[in-house]
Amino acid sequence: MLEFSAVLALVVLTVGAACSLKDARISLATSLLALAIVLAAAVSTPQLFMYVLLVIAIGVLTVFSMNVKENQMSGVDYALVALITVITVYVAYTSDIAFVLAAFVIASVPTYALIFVSTDGKPHVDVAIKYIAFMVLATVLFIIGTLLLVYSSSVKDTVLYTLGFVMLILGLGMEVGCAPMHEWVPDVFSAADPLPLSVIASITKIVPFIAAYKILLLTSLPQLNNLTLFVAFIAVISMFTGNIGALTAKETGRILAYSTVANMGYIIATLAVITSKNYLYLAFAGALLQLIVNAFGKASFFASIKTDGCSRPLMYVLALSFIGLPPLMGFWSKFFILTSLVGAGLVWLAFLLIVNSAISIPYYLRIARNLAKDTVPGKVTAIALVASAAMLITVLPPNWFINVAKLVIGGV
Amino acid sequence: MNWEIVLLFVAPVICSLPIAFYWVKEPGSDRARKLPMLSVFGLFISFVIAIHILLMYPNGTYTIPWLPEYNINFVFIFDYLSKYMGALTAFIAFMIGLYGLEYMKHDYRLGWYWFFFNMFTASMLLVVYSDNLLMLLIGWEGLGLASWGLIGHWFRDDDHLSYVGIVGRKVGPLKMYWPPSYGGWRAISTIRVGDMPMFFAVAAIYALTGNLNISQIHWGALFTKIGLAGTVFLMLCLLMGPFTKSAQLPFSEWLMTAMTGPTTVSALLHSATMVAAGTYLFIRLSWYIHPWTLHAVPGVGVLYYIVLLLGLFSALYGASVAIGCLERKVLLAASTMSSLGLMFGCAAASYWYGKLAVLIAFWYLMTHAFAKATLFLVAGHLIHATHDRFCCGDLNLARKMKTAFIATIIATIALGGLPPLTAYWVKAGMDTVMHHIVEMVGSLPLDLLLITSLLYSAFLAKFLSLNFWKGDKYRLHLHGEKLMPLAYACVVSMVFLLLYRILTGTDPLVETHLLEYGLDKDSLIVGLGVTGTYLFALVVPRIRALSPIGTFLGDRMYLPALNDFIVPSIGWAISKLIEYTHRAIDWFCHFGLPDFMLGISRRIRAIQVGYMRVYMKIALAFVMAAIVVSMLGWL
Amino acid sequence: MMLLYVLLLPLVVTFLTPLMRPKLATAVSAVAFLIPFAYTVYGLASGLVVKIPVVDIVRPIGKFYILGDQVSFSFALAICLVSAMVALYSLPYMAHRFEEMGKELESEYRKYIFFYNLYATSMLWLVFSGNFIMLYIFLEISLLASFLLIYMYGYGDRRKVATLYFVWTHIAGMLALIGFLMTAAANGSLAFDAIAKIGFVAWLLIFLGMIIKLPGLGPHVWLPWAHAEAPTPVSALLSPLTVGLGAYVILRAYLISPWFIKAYTMPIFVYGVISSIYAGFMVFRQNDYKRLLAFSTISQMGYCLIAFCLGTYGIMAVIIQYISHAFGKAILFMTAGGIIANYHGLRDITKMGGMHEYIPTISNAALLGFMNLGGILTVGMFGEFFILKGVVDTFGLDISAILAVVFVFIISGLYSFYTYKRIYCGKPAGYEKVKVNRLLDTPLFIIGIVSILLIFPPLAAILLNAVKAVIAKVAIATIGGVAP
Repeated sequence: MLEFSAVLALVVLTVGAACSLKDARISLATSLLALAIVLAAAVSTPQLFMYVLLVIAIGVLTVFSMNVKENQMSGVDYALVALITVITVYVAYTSDIAFVLAAFVIASVPTYALIFVSTDGKPHVDVAIKYIAFMVLATVLFIIGTLLLVYSSSVKDTVLYTLGFVMLILGLGMEVGCAPMHEWVPDVFSAADPLPLSVIASITKIVPFIAAYKILLLTSLPQLNNLTLFVAFIAVISMFTGNIGALTAKETGRILAYSTVANMGYIIATLAVITSKNYLYLAFAGALLQLIVNAFGKASFFASIKTDGCSRPLMYVLALSFIGLPPLMGFWSKFFILTSLVGAGLVWLAFLLIVNSAISIPYYLRIARNLAKDTVPGKVTAIALVASAAMLITVLPPNWFINVAKLVIGGV
Repeated sequence: MNWEIVLLFVAPVICSLPIAFYWVKEPGSDRARKLPMLSVFGLFISFVIAIHILLMYPNGTYTIPWLPEYNINFVFIFDYLSKYMGALTAFIAFMIGLYGLEYMKHDYRLGWYWFFFNMFTASMLLVVYSDNLLMLLIGWEGLGLASWGLIGHWFRDDDHLSYVGIVGRKVGPLKMYWPPSYGGWRAISTIRVGDMPMFFAVAAIYALTGNLNISQIHWGALFTKIGLAGTVFLMLCLLMGPFTKSAQLPFSEWLMTAMTGPTTVSALLHSATMVAAGTYLFIRLSWYIHPWTLHAVPGVGVLYYIVLLLGLFSALYGASVAIGCLERKVLLAASTMSSLGLMFGCAAASYWYGKLAVLIAFWYLMTHAFAKATLFLVAGHLIHATHDRFCCGDLNLARKMKTAFIATIIATIALGGLPPLTAYWVKAGMDTVMHHIVEMVGSLPLDLLLITSLLYSAFLAKFLSLNFWKGDKYRLHLHGEKLMPLAYACVVSMVFLLLYRILTGTDPLVETHLLEYGLDKDSLIVGLGVTGTYLFALVVPRIRALSPIGTFLGDRMYLPALNDFIVPSIGWAISKLIEYTHRAIDWFCHFGLPDFMLGISRRIRAIQVGYMRVYMKIALAFVMAAIVVSMLGWL
Repeated sequence: MMLLYVLLLPLVVTFLTPLMRPKLATAVSAVAFLIPFAYTVYGLASGLVVKIPVVDIVRPIGKFYILGDQVSFSFALAICLVSAMVALYSLPYMAHRFEEMGKELESEYRKYIFFYNLYATSMLWLVFSGNFIMLYIFLEISLLASFLLIYMYGYGDRRKVATLYFVWTHIAGMLALIGFLMTAAANGSLAFDAIAKIGFVAWLLIFLGMIIKLPGLGPHVWLPWAHAEAPTPVSALLSPLTVGLGAYVILRAYLISPWFIKAYTMPIFVYGVISSIYAGFMVFRQNDYKRLLAFSTISQMGYCLIAFCLGTYGIMAVIIQYISHAFGKAILFMTAGGIIANYHGLRDITKMGGMHEYIPTISNAALLGFMNLGGILTVGMFGEFFILKGVVDTFGLDISAILAVVFVFIISGLYSFYTYKRIYCGKPAGYEKVKVNRLLDTPLFIIGIVSILLIFPPLAAILLNAVKAVIAKVAIATIGGVAP
């Protein structure tokens, strides 16, 4: 059933993309159809349904954000976004390292094309080169790291294992934009077109983390215990660089770039909990939820940049969610992360996270203020509305999400 | 019985509420100006009930539950002290209320005035009748608040007639004149300083004994338990309340500037409420502590000796200041302070002399109350009639204001201790007491008492003389007042009632003791001396040659510096220091730290030069470094 | 179950009032808080203890339940009354504020009343939370709502001040959150009835967080900004209710595991005294009415810190002090607002003087407020009484401790009357006499009268007996508690 739906979705996407040369609207329809197929298939695994639903929602939002304005590859872009979405859904179902690696690549490669997108006819080549160069390097590091991990865990070679782990984390960090490998992020986020960025900054971040989690869990050695400090180190640098850097950034895109760096720092911090049996799931739940919050928020913010702003209350809801105020979703993600860090004995890391969360307040408010304007109905407003509504689904404590996270990480 | 007791306190307050609210709504309207009648009616109810209590109630306590789980209740005590004091308070308050109807007729902010006036009375009654210390504190705080409200009643500070001191006069850094709003502030600030230690002492007594009823606490056991230092500390804290309220040294300044209030307020404040509350409380405490039985308990003797000397020195200070004063009300205020000192001193002597000393102090309190109320009411009438705060008047004035003149003569003689009027007998008792304790504590108290007595009669005579005989020129504005003379005539007549009780020996406790003391040879000599100074001062009210001394005394020996200069300077210095600290912290948190962060932020962003090769260098360098370090086994 | 409905009422009303016209919305909001007020009085009088389960969260967090005990009811008493009265007061004040900002009343008020009710309701729910995380959530919601109100309607550089407020209180909340989470990790639950002990670091973090919120000396610098620049009705909730909730949180932790405060009695006591005196002296130097009141808040909260160190009676004093300060400071902020609304933003005390001449009702109300601060003839009197008793219980007749506390109390009394003199007495400053809107003064008197009634029977007995029930709890906790 699952395999069938996946294949079907891919076929639909391909056909749609092909037809888009004639009319972009066909591709839009087929992309949505493909996502609908995936969603329908997910009914067979009700435990994961909420995850799928959220990812599909993000996918639909990003598809529509590409649709905000005509660009030189309209039509194909929908299909590419939908493809990333589909792969993001399916990576949750697998526990096969090969498939996970493939998903990592598939989720990343379409963005190489998307980054060129522009709505004024001139492709952003300069930016694209920076982006692609970093992505390629990241992918290589990630893949080599994975291979080393797989090999060394089977032969119990701790030196190679360490090397593999470090490379994997470096690859992951570079891919998603952790400091100090974040140099591409501010440039790309401020210079590229906001529309593809609403994809690149949001949904594409999910797969690398899930992949890293799965790989590390599948290949774990006792040596892992000693390596979490490295992750914490990167996390701390990333958090501080992102949050402090954002304080003086002026363009909204640039602020969002640093915000991304900071958010990736929070998320990568959870990898430090990976050796704690009791809190692993909570940590992953926090990471995943934070990714989802990040995806919803960034997609809406970038789409709003394109139209020079969006409805005031929606912008504030999203910003406050990023800050982490209950009962918004952003609170629960941070809450899970903090709980897992404290539970695993990393109180100092939790403390630093809090300091960062306080530093971040001014610039999130600035983002909201920059983007806020009076409410007018439109595509972007609709996108932000859906995203804000998603932030509010956790008014009741999201217990269920921990179970979902358990399944995502364990495969089905 | 229940409702009657509640009504005693509640009636004045309730009856003053209509004007309090109505005046805010329609200030100065005709209807609002009629409502004070209702307030006075409330005072009348209290008066009737107080008389009823005096005549009909058996001695004992009466309890209304308040916080039974804490063993704290409204406990009303009806004994010799409270019955007399209650009746006296209610009577004087009612009379002054009547007087005030006329005195305050054309004034502003009458809602405020009458509300606080009645609350003042009710609070005092609560203090008088309460056996429970916490309940007493409610009345006590009420007194403080009401006195503040009334002293500062003329809050606009726009009428120089309401000031104290010569407007514009400065001595060094000190402004020697005080507007009403400042007078109110000085009163409440001094009183808070005393009330808080007292509040502590009450709480401490509760913590140590679990009981707050004055008549039930085992004082001896308590003192034994906490030892010498504890006893002195605790009781001095407790007496800080009475000391400040009764304006003993060095807390006397507020009382002098309390004269910024309407004269009715001064009259009430100085006779039956507020300042009397302090001495009354000390008398009541001594009555139940039985210090004369506690000679074995360490600390009690020390405590009573301190109070004895403090009281007598305050008495001397007050009398000296009064000698130098030319302002009608301030002169009387200083004399009040002097009298209060005598009461403290005499009551404190009970440690050596026994209960009778307390009784004498109490009788002096009553005598003083009636006489001083009369003098103040007369002074108010004079100020009204002459529009002048300073002593002025001649025989012509005396002829036009006969009642006032006669009342003043009676009051000064009765209070000054000239035989054969009331205070003579009481002071004879004091002389005897102080004479008796010379063996135990030396002759200092006796000497202080005698000097004070002489000065006392002198300045009273001076008051009489400067206002009705040999005073300065004046302009007279008589408005045909009726209630005012009636009120002080009634009040002054009460000194004869006291005299009657003394001379006939019909009082159950005093019996014929005072009569015996008064007929003693030594007392007669003192009485003659006092009469001599009185007559001398009457004829020579001012000695020009001594005017520098007079100014020094009239400026209250520059004690105002304490309230107006020393304490505020220290306070401002501390607050300035604190403000700089605050600014430093504030700057660090809200400017220094954020700016530091912004600086780092700029440096972080400085990496973004836009050149690919730079980025790649940084990223690859980090990657290589991480790999190398991990391989070195550092991780 | 009754409690649940009573608590749901303001919550439901929060979402309904934006749909109503301003007058109706105001009236409905006030009623929505007066009904819980009546219920809390009933709860106190009948010694009610209620537990209503809400949801069960995964293991380290434990179950959420609504806990209505005497502590909750005592705090709710103040919250409900002040919220109801300030709601009434909001209408004329915000009408003035909107006019000043050039906004339209009808539409702006919808936003305002929504966030106002959200703010007040979250505080009410906070004191009925039976789980630290639940408590934390409401703490943050109240922060959010108050932040937005300052951000939208504040004075001065309102965005900066609002952000500053947000950052400080967010740190406060998050520190406490880590403390809670550590407790959760150690106990497997954060429900009040399931925690055995709060460890050292956890206690320290909770305490530090709440010191920021309370605030104590040092982190207090945020408070004068926030409380002075907030729109006055918000100040009138912020200062009386919100900061004191810091004391509530510490109190809850204390009732569960009192060892921390007991082990560090002396430093906390000294810190409280210094905080209080420091802020008390600062009051004398302020020329901005609202900023002055803000410093007075710091001083008054120092009382709470002091009281925590004073054993069982001290704990009672914390509760009474919260109520007393809430009433007093609410009144005072509303008087400041009254002057602002009537005299076009007049806040500078140096430009005031003899204001009693122009606004006698507000002046009289201010007197009631200052009486509350000084503990004169109002419920604060019991607070001071219990603190003083606690001092003797804890330190005996130790002169320095006693004088310190007495000095703290004296300072409060002095600055109260000094301020009153500066603003309301003296030569009238030359303004026009205005007709004060009834909603700008009546609510103040209602609070004032309640605070006076609370020292007389029957309300005094109701409140203090209820508080005594807390003592019994403390005693049990002390016996059964774990030594450090």
